Amino acid sequence: MAKAVLVDITKCIGCGSCTVACKLWNNLDFDEKHPATGLKAELNDNNWTTIALKEVDHKNSKVWRFVKHQCMHCLEPACASACFSKALQKNNDGAVVYYPDLCVGCRYCMIACPFNIPKFEWKKTFPLVTKCQMCSTKIAQGESPACVSVCPTMALKYGERSELLKEAKALINNNKIYVKEIYGETEVGGTAWLYISDIPFAKLGFNTELGKTALPTYTHNFLKYTPFLAIGWGMLLTGLSFYTKRRNEIASKKDNEDQKQQETTNPKP
Amino acid sequence: MNSRNRKTSSLSRRSFLKLLGGVGAAGVASTTAGCSNVPVGGTGWLPQQYHTASNWPVQVKGRIPIDFNNPSIVRDDRKCILCGQCIEVCKNIQTVYGYYELPLKSDIICIDCGQCTMWCPTAAITERDDVSKVLKALDDKDSFVFIQTAPATRVALGEEFGLQPGANVEGRQVTALRKLGFDAVFDTGFTADLTILEEASELVKRLSEKTSTLPQFTSCCPGWVKFCEYFYPEYIPNLSTAKSPQQMLGALSKTYYANIKSINPRKIVSVAVMPCTAKKFECQRPEMRSDSHLRDVDIVLTTRELARLIKMKGINLNSLEDGSYDSILGESTGAGMIFAATGGVMEAAVRTAYYLATNEPPPEEFLTFRAVRGLQGVKESSVDIPGFGILRVAVCNGSKNARVLLDKIRTGESAWDFIEVMACPGGCIGGGGQPRTSLPPSDEVRAARISSIYRLDSKSRKKRLSFENNDVKQVYKNFLIHPLSEMSERLLHTHYKDRSSQLIAKKKYSLDEGESNG
Repeated sequence: MAKAVLVDITKCIGCGSCTVACKLWNNLDFDEKHPATGLKAELNDNNWTTIALKEVDHKNSKVWRFVKHQCMHCLEPACASACFSKALQKNNDGAVVYYPDLCVGCRYCMIACPFNIPKFEWKKTFPLVTKCQMCSTKIAQGESPACVSVCPTMALKYGERSELLKEAKALINNNKIYVKEIYGETEVGGTAWLYISDIPFAKLGFNTELGKTALPTYTHNFLKYTPFLAIGWGMLLTGLSFYTKRRNEIASKKDNEDQKQQETTNPKP
Repeated sequence: MNSRNRKTSSLSRRSFLKLLGGVGAAGVASTTAGCSNVPVGGTGWLPQQYHTASNWPVQVKGRIPIDFNNPSIVRDDRKCILCGQCIEVCKNIQTVYGYYELPLKSDIICIDCGQCTMWCPTAAITERDDVSKVLKALDDKDSFVFIQTAPATRVALGEEFGLQPGANVEGRQVTALRKLGFDAVFDTGFTADLTILEEASELVKRLSEKTSTLPQFTSCCPGWVKFCEYFYPEYIPNLSTAKSPQQMLGALSKTYYANIKSINPRKIVSVAVMPCTAKKFECQRPEMRSDSHLRDVDIVLTTRELARLIKMKGINLNSLEDGSYDSILGESTGAGMIFAATGGVMEAAVRTAYYLATNEPPPEEFLTFRAVRGLQGVKESSVDIPGFGILRVAVCNGSKNARVLLDKIRTGESAWDFIEVMACPGGCIGGGGQPRTSLPPSDEVRAARISSIYRLDSKSRKKRLSFENNDVKQVYKNFLIHPLSEMSERLLHTHYKDRSSQLIAKKKYSLDEGESNG
């Protein structure tokens, strides 16, 4: 059931349809000073996806490539793991969805995300976190995410993750122009967004040193003891409480008895 | 110890229940106030075609890529509704989008024709607005700002002021330009006549030398020239070396005109109003510089921009008296006028070729060359010019039809001597800078403008042959000496750039490719 999107960077022509579709569907503002496409493309609270123009040296000449940025929708999202109010949740269909009504605004997710995706509405009085939702309400109805549905060159493809992986592998193995790597297959435990390219990913600005371990596992290794620790600690304190209470009782009883005894042995004059 | 016991018992049952009740009420209040499980986003809209099951194809989708530095067209993302019409015209009418292999190299392939601006229903794609540049030049009292008007703008500008398609506003346009403060108003029709003499002489030369660079292609359409440079570089030598009328007038203004009027060419601002967005690209080409490294043409306005400028200054075009063009770059014949319509350059050239071959004015059938007139995509004919032989000619409009001709030449299926190509459907009258009178552009509007152009040729103009143009005669007598002279080669001819390395043209193109979404 896990859905995914395959991005073929060799097919992107930089038309920016996806960025406009995202804004149309999610009611986001346009801001010329912070464009969603081009050399100065900037992911922010109104640009949930961007198309960045990268001018790179390739085979002794300068070439243009366009790199789409948006939430990678990790299989094991660090943001959801960091969120203590369940404002970020991983859906069964693969989307990592943000529920604004549950958010307390702590911005832990922004620190947790290895791809630097969640953005904060700094300019608002009551700001929230924002990020790509993979059009969760659209995919729930069996439609593609908005950006995928408008892509004219099929640079974006939506489908089952396992099938897209198969397709991507066939492509990179049969076509010499591709680098033999699928970005997102294993990065931080795998992501729902997968990329293939003819230019090494590091050259295009991808972080290739994230490792294969899902980030939540690092914290899970010790946080899994939390319940036992919490219950154990509570039991310990309860025990101690009982112990001291009883000790006090015995002590006060003894005090009383001693007092009585003293009163009987030394009656008041 | 005693005090502690007393404190514990001080929490009465009443206050304990109050506390519980308070917490409960706060919980109920916060739950009803918020904490709903509605994800963010998805509150906007998308065109209907995108609301379909993910495994169904979307028949019209996306939009064309536009380079931020494109000199001709710009797009405002705020107005784009992703209707897909720009792709429809770029791919199916102009055959540019989708006719090159991906990945891209380092260029967004565009022939600058601007047809997408004519199809975009929200005007998200428009010409690059150069009105402010013109206003700045006009405000500078130190510079000599002149403007030239293309043949096609006079039969379309009126549409922006509520007139019928094809209404001829030639004289009113001149008056409006004077009112705007231009120091001189010239007619690109003058250099159209000049182009004919240069281009026809070049053709005669090629034919007599029996060189292999036949057929000769016209080169006055910058969209077509760029199309050829991208997709058919092997035919660059076949392009006439003659500059387009716009560039010729620019070149003469800063040399011949500046000299006669004793104006410092550096103080001249050369403006052109064109039915075309590609002209904005053409005037910036590094090849298009006349003497002293000055650009032939500094600013190009489209017909739409001129209309905006006139409205901005509160001038009512409809109430103006007719004005006339300034000499010595102002006279034009009917032959120059018909440049605006598809087949017009061919017709004008054939009239002059007849004269060059026989030294006699051509007979009536040469003055109404029906075979090359009309909106048909590809037209071919042959004319028998006495003492010269059969001249096989072809005319096409819309760059899709250029492919038809070029592919036939490539395979050797057909052979012609002279071919006119206009990138826009209908020729310049249907150019990407013309008023958006119907959407998408319709043949009715195109036909109305074309018949207006032919009325200019047959009714308004006394002279219908380029070589009868007095201003042209004068410029040859006093400056250029004769067609293809050293001076005209230097000022009026140019060279082209092979752009084929900027793309990999698709060997086999099919319209269905990349369409399915499965």
